Amino acid sequence: MAPYKKMMLKADINRIYDDEYIDSQKAKKEKFFVRPSRQRKMKKPGWFSVGMGIDLPFCIIILVLLTIGTIMMFSASYAFSYYTTGDSYHYLFRQLLFIGLGLIAMIFMSFFNYNKFHKIAPLVLGVSYICLVLVLMLPAGDGGVKRWIPLGIFNLQPSEIAKFSIILFFAHWSSKYYNKMQFARYSVLPGLVVFGTTALLLYFEPHYSGIVIIGILTVLMLYIGGMKAKYLLIGFVGLAGIVLLLAVTGGLSYAMSRMDGWGQALQSVRGDDLWDATWQTRNSLYAIGSGGLWGLGLGQSRQKYLYLPEPQNDFIFAIVVEELGLIGAMLILIIFALLVWRGITLSLRAKDKFGKMLGIGLTSQIGIQVVLNILVITDWLPNTGISLPFFSYGGSSLIMLLAQMGIVLSISRTANIERQ
Amino acid sequence: MGKDNKVTNNSKKHTAKGPNQKLRQRTAILIMLILIAGFGAAVLRLSFLTLVQGSELQERAVDQQLADTTVSAKRGSIYDKNGKILAESASVWQVVLAPINFKTDEQRQACAKGLAEILDLEYEDVLEKTQQQNYYSVVKRKIEADKRDEILKFIDKMADDYKCTGVISLLDDYKRYYPQNDLASCVIGFTGSDDQGLEGVEYKYDDYLAGTSGRIITARNARGTDMPFQYEQNVDAEDGNNIYLTIDATVQSICEKYMKQGIIENNVLNRGVCIAMDVNTGAIIAMVTVDGYNLNDPYTLSQKDIDEIRTLPKDKQAEAESAALSAMWRNKAISDTYMPGSVFKICTSSMALEENLVDDNTTFFCSGSVTLPGVTNPINCHDHAGHGTQTFVQAICNSCNPAFIQIGKMLGADKFRQYYQGFGFSEKTGIDLPGEAEDNFWPGEMKEVDLAVASFGQNFSITPIQMITACAAVVNGGNVLQPYVVSKITDSDGNVIKNVEKKVKRQVISKETSDKMNEILAYNTATAGATAGYIPGYKIGGKTGTSEKIGVVKPESIFPEDYIASFCGYAPADNPQIAMLVFFDTPSGDVYYGSQVAAPAFINIMSEVLPYLEVKTEYTESELEYVDASAGDYIGLSSADAEKAAKNDGFTVTVKGKGDKVISQIPTVSSKVQNGGNIVLYTDDTSASETVTVPNLIGYTPSEVNNVASAYGLNVSFSGATTAQGISTAQDISEGTSVSPGTVITVSFNSSSSTLND
Repeated sequence: MAPYKKMMLKADINRIYDDEYIDSQKAKKEKFFVRPSRQRKMKKPGWFSVGMGIDLPFCIIILVLLTIGTIMMFSASYAFSYYTTGDSYHYLFRQLLFIGLGLIAMIFMSFFNYNKFHKIAPLVLGVSYICLVLVLMLPAGDGGVKRWIPLGIFNLQPSEIAKFSIILFFAHWSSKYYNKMQFARYSVLPGLVVFGTTALLLYFEPHYSGIVIIGILTVLMLYIGGMKAKYLLIGFVGLAGIVLLLAVTGGLSYAMSRMDGWGQALQSVRGDDLWDATWQTRNSLYAIGSGGLWGLGLGQSRQKYLYLPEPQNDFIFAIVVEELGLIGAMLILIIFALLVWRGITLSLRAKDKFGKMLGIGLTSQIGIQVVLNILVITDWLPNTGISLPFFSYGGSSLIMLLAQMGIVLSISRTANIERQ
Repeated sequence: MGKDNKVTNNSKKHTAKGPNQKLRQRTAILIMLILIAGFGAAVLRLSFLTLVQGSELQERAVDQQLADTTVSAKRGSIYDKNGKILAESASVWQVVLAPINFKTDEQRQACAKGLAEILDLEYEDVLEKTQQQNYYSVVKRKIEADKRDEILKFIDKMADDYKCTGVISLLDDYKRYYPQNDLASCVIGFTGSDDQGLEGVEYKYDDYLAGTSGRIITARNARGTDMPFQYEQNVDAEDGNNIYLTIDATVQSICEKYMKQGIIENNVLNRGVCIAMDVNTGAIIAMVTVDGYNLNDPYTLSQKDIDEIRTLPKDKQAEAESAALSAMWRNKAISDTYMPGSVFKICTSSMALEENLVDDNTTFFCSGSVTLPGVTNPINCHDHAGHGTQTFVQAICNSCNPAFIQIGKMLGADKFRQYYQGFGFSEKTGIDLPGEAEDNFWPGEMKEVDLAVASFGQNFSITPIQMITACAAVVNGGNVLQPYVVSKITDSDGNVIKNVEKKVKRQVISKETSDKMNEILAYNTATAGATAGYIPGYKIGGKTGTSEKIGVVKPESIFPEDYIASFCGYAPADNPQIAMLVFFDTPSGDVYYGSQVAAPAFINIMSEVLPYLEVKTEYTESELEYVDASAGDYIGLSSADAEKAAKNDGFTVTVKGKGDKVISQIPTVSSKVQNGGNIVLYTDDTSASETVTVPNLIGYTPSEVNNVASAYGLNVSFSGATTAQGISTAQDISEGTSVSPGTVITVSFNSSSSTLND
């Protein structure tokens, strides 16, 4: 921490309003605040945190993942790109552009005072709702689904915003009502309302994997926000009941059609009903199996030659395993695990509950998506379209992802500043 | 609010840890859930897929990624002994579609229409193939060069008119041709649609002939076009090996010709067999099962079979057809067993000689029948009057059953069985052809009556190939050989990869016994004449046989019992080279004895085969009289010189015309004329118009024929077994025809009125 010692310290005025912060402040006063009197003299913090107080390991992990992800995205996409657009670099160039924009967003957000989100969290949620409604009014895109708002160079995916806004909102909510989170009306009720409305809008897109992730994030945020564990249990039972009910009434027709053939990819034979439905998953399994322990070598995937549809998207990790093998996949998963570990632990160092919860929520989201993505490509979960962070091609998700990582970096910066 | 308080109190209990602690606890649980449960599950699943299921998945992936095109190997040729082609493969093509590459229905229809027209197929069938979603759909196989050219043009047309490419392709293929059609059909066999051998040598030597298919493996993307990076692996097709048979196509065709003639003349109901074997090596020179079938069209039955099947009820036709086909393909020479009858006496005699049980002085008495204890009906000799007292040699020449019953008794059942096994009847000969049958002999103790009938070849059955192998052993010095039809195998470049050597299984009788048997059998033919296979100029040994087909009901014949007429002979008797077994199953013409049915066929065949094989002739004085000579070339000589030259050649000469020089002659140059025949030399054109009318030459002995012919100024050539006692049965130019003087008329002497020593 030596280089940062001379950095200007800024007291975070927000903490003053944060009851929990004051609690913890009192408890560990001596340990963290060497010169509290001087801090008190600090002027009210502005919109941006300055200095280099970001968590360097976390930042390095992000850049490493981004580099590996981009290389693999290029490797996975170039054949598909060549056959569909005539240009092998089509996806690479666009992805590099998104990375550029994303990095700008990340750097921006790392300087942005995340505490400003505390106030605007309900507003962000509102914007998210507007986007979710807006997308439903636009004409349907590929496959008759309405998931994207075209914005020129890239398509905005409202569900990405929804994910972020939900994390943000519940971080805001549970830090605001931290001492009331035991009550169902402060935890379960807002959870149900926010998740329910968002899920309903996503249902019309439809985007079931978005619903699943938002559901998990809602539960996760409420759980770490202090919701009673018994509600969680009740919630799980209830969820199971609802899924069962929908399955029986056939309301999940689209999802069911996507789930059709779930686990059947290898049993299906050419020409049967499930052959086409399980095509992508089957070829994903072929790719993974072909990789073996050591892989076929970087760039040597064969399944990417139009066998695995859209190999640059959700199923990119299958190509990664085919080329780099189990060893390469495990190394990448270890890096992801380090990211999750580092992100959560650095978030815990934040001095306010909002910062902690926001950081944990944003980092967990990555871990959850990685796990769900791998379970989908390995046919342990139905093929529902969950992208792999840092790897999958996609403008809005990548920019959102990097911006969110910027927020985590901002949290780390603030924590580091306060550590001085 | 009470509730609130309670909760607040509750939370205060935890204040020791603080709300921060609770968050830390829950975060720790969260981390564990994500990293251990979540990532753990992911790693487990990936490990399972890559390490446990990896090879299976990779195999399936490779299956779809690699377009594996099979390149047919050229099947090896089959040659006869002298290198004449009996079976060969010629290049043809197969038309293959990659229907997944069609873009529009218009293309599909146009393609289906064009292909259906060119290949003479149903439009709907082709259209159906164009609608499939795959890369490989065979439209038609084995198309020939002319169709190929049309297809190539059509491919261009599809590309020009419909922008349709990568859909139709032509792959190399081969088609099997049998230039000799039905020659040696039962030996050669044929191949199926995938070029796999189905019968005969084609089947037995399939591994050698087939070669190894090559493969072109290219990496294909899911659209079936090549991946942009090079991934191609070629395994060249390895052409099959060529096979040289021991069969001599010339001998084979001679045999087939006369066997077919025999079948027709004797109205043989159940086919006939002729096997010619090199007695010293076991090599099969000819193996005939008549009627054979056209190897180029092996699924077409004979008209007679087709008519027969048509009379059956509809539901039984298919079954009958397949039964008829397998019967037609069946190589009777090795797959069917028969009772050898008197031919087997060759073996019985050898056994007795080898055991020193008989000599020239041993006599046997035949009263015409023998009554055995425990058997109601006496066993009759074919000569019901009885042969009386006879020597061993006479007993063989008489083919006397009572005498052989006595010989059998002298041998005893044990010795008989021992020799039976020694001659190789109890085992397969091991000939390199598929479908060899096993013998059918008394499995346990032979009763007296069993031994009695076995001694003259009845009540047990063996295959023809076993019989001739045993016969070869009797005459070649006692060596039981393994018969074979393939002499050598060469690779496609002509390098010999396998040379078949003769294989002696064992020696069953001594050289002395063998020599004695040769003497006896040659004496048999010489004394019995045409009925026993006598051919002037050659020392033939042989034995006839007429066996009853006991227990065989079908096919019906005019005789109370069905018979097999057979003859087994060899030449030359003093230095055996070629042995031949001829048999006709169920003759139903006027005669059925081996001497009447099989021996003439044998004589016809051998009369052509022995000169072809350049077996030296040795005529006796009396034979020379009927031997043909070749007319010399006298044209262009002065009439005086020509007359002199012709007289030197042993002919009488008639000069016609007034010219100085000979301008034509009858018989023509090199044509066959009997020794001392008349050569007519013409010296001018006018004289050539003279004619004589051909007289009747049937019903005379050879010398009478000679006399009549020379009286008319005609020449004769004798065909068949001509002995002094023979009676002519046919003439090739019929009575009353006008011919030039000196014309050669071929007169046939077939069976004679000699006794039937069966």
